[in-house]
Amino acid sequence: MTATLTTRRPETTVGMGQIAVLTGDERASAVLGSCVGVAIYDETKKLGALAHVVLPTSAGRPGTPGKFVDTAITWMLNELRSRGADPRKLRCKLTGGATMFAANGPFQIGQQNIDATRQALAAANVRIVAEHLGGAKGRRITFECDAFTIVVESAGETSVTL
Amino acid sequence: MAANALNDLRNNWELIFAPAIENASAAMSAWTNGDVSLALDEVREVEVEEVAAALDLTDELSTMVLLGIGGAMGGQLILSFDRDNACRLIASLLNREVDRDEAWNELEISALQETGNILSSAYLNAITALTGRRLWPSPPTVTEDYAMSVVGQAVMTQALTEDRVLLCRTRFSRLGQRVEWNLIFVPSPELLQLLREMAATL
Repeated sequence: MTATLTTRRPETTVGMGQIAVLTGDERASAVLGSCVGVAIYDETKKLGALAHVVLPTSAGRPGTPGKFVDTAITWMLNELRSRGADPRKLRCKLTGGATMFAANGPFQIGQQNIDATRQALAAANVRIVAEHLGGAKGRRITFECDAFTIVVESAGETSVTL
Repeated sequence: MAANALNDLRNNWELIFAPAIENASAAMSAWTNGDVSLALDEVREVEVEEVAAALDLTDELSTMVLLGIGGAMGGQLILSFDRDNACRLIASLLNREVDRDEAWNELEISALQETGNILSSAYLNAITALTGRRLWPSPPTVTEDYAMSVVGQAVMTQALTEDRVLLCRTRFSRLGQRVEWNLIFVPSPELLQLLREMAATL
């Protein structure tokens, strides 16, 4: 299994199923609907990763690690550790997981993605320090690595910085 | 898959969708006094990760008319354009100026909704005639949001069970010039399976 990995660029667009690893003053952005943006960070090392996860579980299906919550978080933790991050110092910020069609319909992927992400992070002992989740609107997020901030923009709303 | 087999499959998908596009184009032309027409651009199955690139979706806000597909088999139809194109359409339908920086009033929104209604009804009538399964559009919703996020969610019902999703891309022209409108048809997994079976037997 290989990841779509982009580094060493001032701003990287992280598409569905992709993961970007960032250091220093690098930035990454993503547009999220029901997908969840998972940003994991080691403040001491100024090292982070942003995943744009699409579905809650791989259940053995093929795909890039960033496509599914379970494979994305495993891949991110391994990658950050391999680059010197201290697992005890990792923190996470979560965004996305909107429900844009039929809020009472059968396909509540946004909420399933949120639930699966929280469970996977809890199992890995990674603390969630901020989140901007749910709702019925899409989000454009920008992850600024050096300050570990995430700017969240939604149509018709004032942007929020996590 | 061999190149010839892939080409055959593409041609079959085009045979499936051509009547729907033709119907929708005739309806749009009548609705806009001949200003707007549409043609089939491309039908293909792509990995879910490739959807944004395949549809040229950017991280800019778009105006969208969203319609669910009712009937035994569901899905979504999304008509999207940038705000300038939406304003031009409203202005031509209502025969008056529309300020792009002002919020739209009820009449202006209903002009967009009716456009979605007319387009989707004609489109789904042709798919109904082809499949023998009655399909109809839900009441339209007009929204301004990131097209990438809306389309991303629309394809999720397919992505839950399929590694590839079907995209039918449509080219629009207004007064003979290509315009950046998009009609995105996302069938439910059940409807996709039926369409696949039909495409395989053509």
